[in-house]
Amino acid sequence: MTTARAEGAVPEAGNGSGTALAARTRALRKVYRGTVAVDGVDLEVPEGAVVGMLGPNGSGKTTTIRMLLGLVQPTEGEIELLGVPVPEAAEQVLPHVGALVEGPGFHPFLSGRDNLLRFAAAEPLLAGGELDGAVSAALERVGLAGAARKKYRAYSLGMKQRLGLASALLAPRRLVVLDEPTNGLDPAGTQEVRRIIAELHDRGVTVLVSSHLLAEVEATCTHVVVLNEGVVVAQGALDDLLESGSPTLLVSTPDGPTAVETLRDHRIPARLAPDGIRVDLTTTAPAAVIETLVRAGARVDEARRERTGLEEAFARLTHDVGDLVGELDTEEPEAVR
Amino acid sequence: MTTPHPAATRGPATAPGPGVPAELPARRRAPLGRLLRAEVRWIFRRPRTLAVLALLAALPVITGVAVDLTLDGGGAPVDTGPPGAGPGASDGGPPIFVTMAASAFVLPLGSLMTLLMLLLPLTVAMASGDALAGEQSHGTLRGWLLAPVSRGRLLLVKAAGVLVVALVASGLVVTSGMVTGLVLTGTDGLVSMSGTELSMADVLGRLGLAVAWATLYLMAVGAVALAISAFTEHPMVVVVSVLGGLIVSVVLMQISALDWLHPFLLPSSLTSLVDLIRDPVSFDGLAEGAFRAGCYLVIGMSLAYARITTKAG
Repeated sequence: MTTARAEGAVPEAGNGSGTALAARTRALRKVYRGTVAVDGVDLEVPEGAVVGMLGPNGSGKTTTIRMLLGLVQPTEGEIELLGVPVPEAAEQVLPHVGALVEGPGFHPFLSGRDNLLRFAAAEPLLAGGELDGAVSAALERVGLAGAARKKYRAYSLGMKQRLGLASALLAPRRLVVLDEPTNGLDPAGTQEVRRIIAELHDRGVTVLVSSHLLAEVEATCTHVVVLNEGVVVAQGALDDLLESGSPTLLVSTPDGPTAVETLRDHRIPARLAPDGIRVDLTTTAPAAVIETLVRAGARVDEARRERTGLEEAFARLTHDVGDLVGELDTEEPEAVR
Repeated sequence: MTTPHPAATRGPATAPGPGVPAELPARRRAPLGRLLRAEVRWIFRRPRTLAVLALLAALPVITGVAVDLTLDGGGAPVDTGPPGAGPGASDGGPPIFVTMAASAFVLPLGSLMTLLMLLLPLTVAMASGDALAGEQSHGTLRGWLLAPVSRGRLLLVKAAGVLVVALVASGLVVTSGMVTGLVLTGTDGLVSMSGTELSMADVLGRLGLAVAWATLYLMAVGAVALAISAFTEHPMVVVVSVLGGLIVSVVLMQISALDWLHPFLLPSSLTSLVDLIRDPVSFDGLAEGAFRAGCYLVIGMSLAYARITTKAG
């Protein structure tokens, strides 16, 4: 697979792949006491992308993330994070990775600031003199500067979540992994998380964010991975996923009935829609549809591809898996921009 | 990340550029000293650590004052000893609390022996329970692993933290006992059990030795506690198991039919602390106790290491 940035990749230092993937797994599998949590997951996270990991509860999102970060040993399969194998070389890559996994973990008897200072001390990329500044900056970034000296036990759920986010952003990162970052946040907090993700994206940081909130993913991500029952059911650029399903062209025309008839004569499935017609593009291309219509004398005001909402796509994917897997596998994730 | 990648077409210079995997710098680690400082600061900011240390510092004072008052009032022989004088003090030999009990030499040693029965092991077990199980239950162990701190290094830092607690706790008991003794009786009563006068330097040397020996003994307890701590996420399980184990050991020590088992029981070492009051000091029992503690230490740390390197984070 090649991506837009692949040509800039330097295939040296024996990493062998030469493609710009921030994270990649091959046939990843995890079995917990006979229960298969994750099965045959081939994940591809392009560098610089914001990848949303979607799936119902218990679909293997967190297990996959924990394996990616070297917290759990996979039963089978390979993992590469920023080009190095995990968990073997986890110590080399983890300094460049920030993570919030399974909710924030802090000590209640320490202030938010002291909790962060403790973790900052363990950050290999921070020099001794930078710890204070790094902690202040991280607190500032998540909007907790005002509550920095409050005990963690006095924090609200949203503040705890923000502090978790701050600890993921303590050092300069190349990959940030966020497991359900908006859990417990009010709408303003959710907005804040979106802003932080967008900011990271602008700086070229790769972000992997898991969520069961579809709107969340639709609003922030460039790429999507959909997991269901431990299996990847779809993966690719968000736009591709939204256009998948049966591709449809919406044509605005005042001559609806004629247009439908004309298309049916040409064996193109179409049906009437509120102010025009919907044309199924499975067997044909938009250009051919419009040409046929214009030749038959139907007036075409506007034609556009229909974007299904992510919600619809997601429901389709997690309920009616079989149809879609083949179709989406051919889609290659594009690099961002 | 210091070399901007050719493909980096956006973002300020300070941002981690969209580099390629090949650019990952060599492995870096946070300095060990910084990790240790963070760990020790965390331990000594816990309210419960401070509470138990305060208790440990207060007990020798209470014992000393109580003994002093009893001796002053009536001068009756106090063969029962102060409350809390454990079997280590009254086992066979002359009751050490009777005459010179409030001296700056015997009070700290007696307090140390008494507290080594339960309260000091409790302190260490608590610290060990918080070190791994407690961190696991708060989800903070994951934070260390993700930083990353390698699992072996993490155990090293945690064991060092427990060592500091053991050292501070036993040092505090001895210091508190000695200061109390000096206040109550001055430099009187600095005599060995054999009746010889001891110089202040000699006394300090012996007390220092007692602290070192007690720390080793407590680290043996701590190593076993750390092993248990690595297997659970409930600090309470650690404390209960360790104290339960010590109590069972002491019970087994009372059963003479099991005397073949006694050399393997950790509390068998405790009585040898009395040897520090003899003149000259007899090192046989102390050395045997140190060896026994060393065995527990090695076994405990090995189990803890085996578990922490394989557990899920």
